[in-house]
Amino acid sequence: MNYSLDVINLYKKFGEKKILQNLQFQLGQGKSLSIVGPSGSGKTTLLRILAGLESPTHGTIMLNGKNVTHHKPNKRNIGLVFQQPLLFPHMTVKENIDYGAKMAGQSSKSKTADLLRAISLNDYADRFPAEISGGQQQRVALARAIASEPEVLLLDEPFSSLDVQLREELRYWVKDFLSQQQTTTIFVTHDLEEAMLMGDHIAIFHEGIFQQLDDADEIHKHPVNPFVARFLKSHLVIDDHQYIPIQSIRSRKPEGEHRSYTAKLLHWTYTLGQKTGHFYIEELHETITMPIGTIGLKEKFSIYLPLEKIQFFQEAGNRK
Amino acid sequence: MIKPMKIIFYSLAILLFIGPVFLLVLQSFTEVWQFSAGQSLTFQLDSYSTLVSDPNIMEATFWSLVIGACVLVINLVIGLLSGKALSSSSFKGKSLLEALFLAPILIPVLAIAMGLHLFMIRIGLADTWTGVVLIHLVPTLPYSIKIFHNAYHQFGNHLLEQAEILGATGFRQLHTIELPLLKPAIRSVTFLTIVISLSQYAITAIIGGGRIITLPLVFFPFLQTANTSLMAAFSVWFALLPFFMYLVVELLLLLLPYTRKPWRNLR
Amino acid sequence: MKSYSSKLWIHLTPALLFLILPFFGIITAVRHSIFADEGFTLNFYQELFQSDRFFSSLAFSIRTSIIATALAIMIGLILVRLFHPYLAKLSPRISVWLPMLFPHFVWGYLVILLLAESGLFAQVLSAIGWIDGTNHFPILTRDPYGFGIIITYVWKEVPFVILMLLPVYAAIPTTSYDVVKTLGGNRWDQFKTVEWPHIQPTLIETCLIIFSFTLTAYEVPALIGTTYPEMVSVLSYQWFYGGSWDERPLAFVVMVCVSIVIFMIALTSYLYLNRRRMRAMRGRL
Repeated sequence: MNYSLDVINLYKKFGEKKILQNLQFQLGQGKSLSIVGPSGSGKTTLLRILAGLESPTHGTIMLNGKNVTHHKPNKRNIGLVFQQPLLFPHMTVKENIDYGAKMAGQSSKSKTADLLRAISLNDYADRFPAEISGGQQQRVALARAIASEPEVLLLDEPFSSLDVQLREELRYWVKDFLSQQQTTTIFVTHDLEEAMLMGDHIAIFHEGIFQQLDDADEIHKHPVNPFVARFLKSHLVIDDHQYIPIQSIRSRKPEGEHRSYTAKLLHWTYTLGQKTGHFYIEELHETITMPIGTIGLKEKFSIYLPLEKIQFFQEAGNRK
Repeated sequence: MIKPMKIIFYSLAILLFIGPVFLLVLQSFTEVWQFSAGQSLTFQLDSYSTLVSDPNIMEATFWSLVIGACVLVINLVIGLLSGKALSSSSFKGKSLLEALFLAPILIPVLAIAMGLHLFMIRIGLADTWTGVVLIHLVPTLPYSIKIFHNAYHQFGNHLLEQAEILGATGFRQLHTIELPLLKPAIRSVTFLTIVISLSQYAITAIIGGGRIITLPLVFFPFLQTANTSLMAAFSVWFALLPFFMYLVVELLLLLLPYTRKPWRNLR
Repeated sequence: MKSYSSKLWIHLTPALLFLILPFFGIITAVRHSIFADEGFTLNFYQELFQSDRFFSSLAFSIRTSIIATALAIMIGLILVRLFHPYLAKLSPRISVWLPMLFPHFVWGYLVILLLAESGLFAQVLSAIGWIDGTNHFPILTRDPYGFGIIITYVWKEVPFVILMLLPVYAAIPTTSYDVVKTLGGNRWDQFKTVEWPHIQPTLIETCLIIFSFTLTAYEVPALIGTTYPEMVSVLSYQWFYGGSWDERPLAFVVMVCVSIVIFMIALTSYLYLNRRRMRAMRGRL
């Protein structure tokens, strides 16, 4: 059982509202997991419970084999980077980075200097947080979290307060940085693309459990249920049991056996240089997005689903 | 557009606030004014030497400082604790509690002191400086709780959670994060508390029973006998005490971690 | 969760213990006003309500406090409105708050120094020949109309009003003004629709604090007031400390009556503010 983090039957209720329903998962040393789900699904609460800022109603959290469920935040070696950088305004950049390490008794000049260099802010060591930009602040926050050498690092949408361009730059940088540091990380986001980029594995979080936890390929090939399929936006959900990948949908009547539906064009946009339509399938009450390409711009037309391409959701039991 | 407003502002500030204080200070350094008799200003320092050599005034100053310092320390401790509690959690009846903490400002402190008088006699706190400290808490503490509540609210819970995640325990967090960030609140509470404590004649007389002599208790009878220059000097003396206390507090604040040399923050 | 809430109450305990002081004090004051040696009685109230001295004192006190409060609030509000951009800077702010360094009665003494019949203004005016001798200067201190008390309080409380309102004004987003401007509102509309809703709670709170303070504080009227009519605080203090023990219960009755006046006003404004908040939450007015 050499997991960095082992979460067993985690359950959380706020009044009548169930936030976590017997959530289970494990994370190996140096691995990264992205948790993605719609806003307000309780992702932040999950991180706060892991960090110890809130206690679960019941369940167990093991950190490298040690039960830390009832430890206070300062007694469990978990780092958390929030949406906002939350740097201490009365400390310089250097002092901020050093703070966590100092508290853990692991402060060293060379480590702070290394981290400053790693976030390319060595020239800003003696500036105050108010004197550097938002992206720089977020980098300092990250270095500060790393400096205390946490066993698991939690990142709660750390880029959401930055503008789009900065966000993309910082994503790659953080990804590299974290894999260099060999840190075990959980990354929370509502953005599927960001989730695929930041995690070796992706967990799709909804209604208090991981609907599916797999790598990006597997999730796209075999979504386990309609929620996942709809969330990925790469499949048309036919009913509770069947779906078809969007690229298998035809606009011309195929040779073999098939089903057909009427699609109504709602509007169109460009995605990656391709004209993309947003369609409403009346019979299924489903909305899908697919390249217009061969279809041409028509208000209403038929789509064809070859029977051999239709697949069944396979509830792989609950996750291991 | 902007210039004339600025001139108006500074003229008003000088006319209403700076000027009168300047005149008070001027009077304390000059002979009693008799312009109608055609005299001009004659400078003197006698009023201050009389003030400083009066044993009653010096003793009263001492007691005012002792009582003020105690009131201040209690205000800081209780204000900080309850300000933190109020800002860090939400619970049923919190707004009622906030109202209750503010309510003592609205209750006549004279009525409270009269009401507590017999009780203080019974428990042996009447005529003692401890009793006076307690009664001085009534008009000061509501403000301090409010100031600390606002201060904690301003830098927010997340910052403290961040410190906790980085491994700071209660006391270290207080020492390294909260107190340095609370400096402006501590300064405001210092000024407000000392000035209010120095302003209490009636309740100090009631609870102190004439045994505990603070500055206001000397000031009132002085008014009948002393000349204008001496009274002006005495008045200035009242304003010097908060400054003195502020200086002490400021020196103590220098001991906090992450304190810069004062000129670093001016930028 | 449990450990957090127990910590919360540990933090709040000292403040809750402190509350015993004022509330026990005021309850005891009420008890002293309705209990004599022979038990419950309303005699003291009866006695007080037959006293002309009390009623003229009460009327004088309420009138004086209302005038002082209204003037302080209006002047403070005007100053903050006109000058809050300057007041964001430290040195202008300190110059405005200068009077707060002094106890109220010391500021009262300053008023005597400047405005008494032998004060600086009287001397200067008579020296330059605007009035014939200092005895022609209007009587502004220890006067029967409470001018001295009002002047002292207004002067001393204006900085307090500024202190209370400044953060509120600093927090009003400038975009709200722009919205009103683009919709064609004039300056009055800006005040009514943008500023008023923001400042109203603080303004009412400040009003209450100043009113209850000026109504019941002893020091300033003792220094700069006259013997008749006198403020209720002076009357009560005299009865409390007067030669005869018989008058002590009356001192309590006076303070209880004044407290009831303040309580009624505070309750009314609290209910008014709350009702407004409820209506605002329902989204219509």
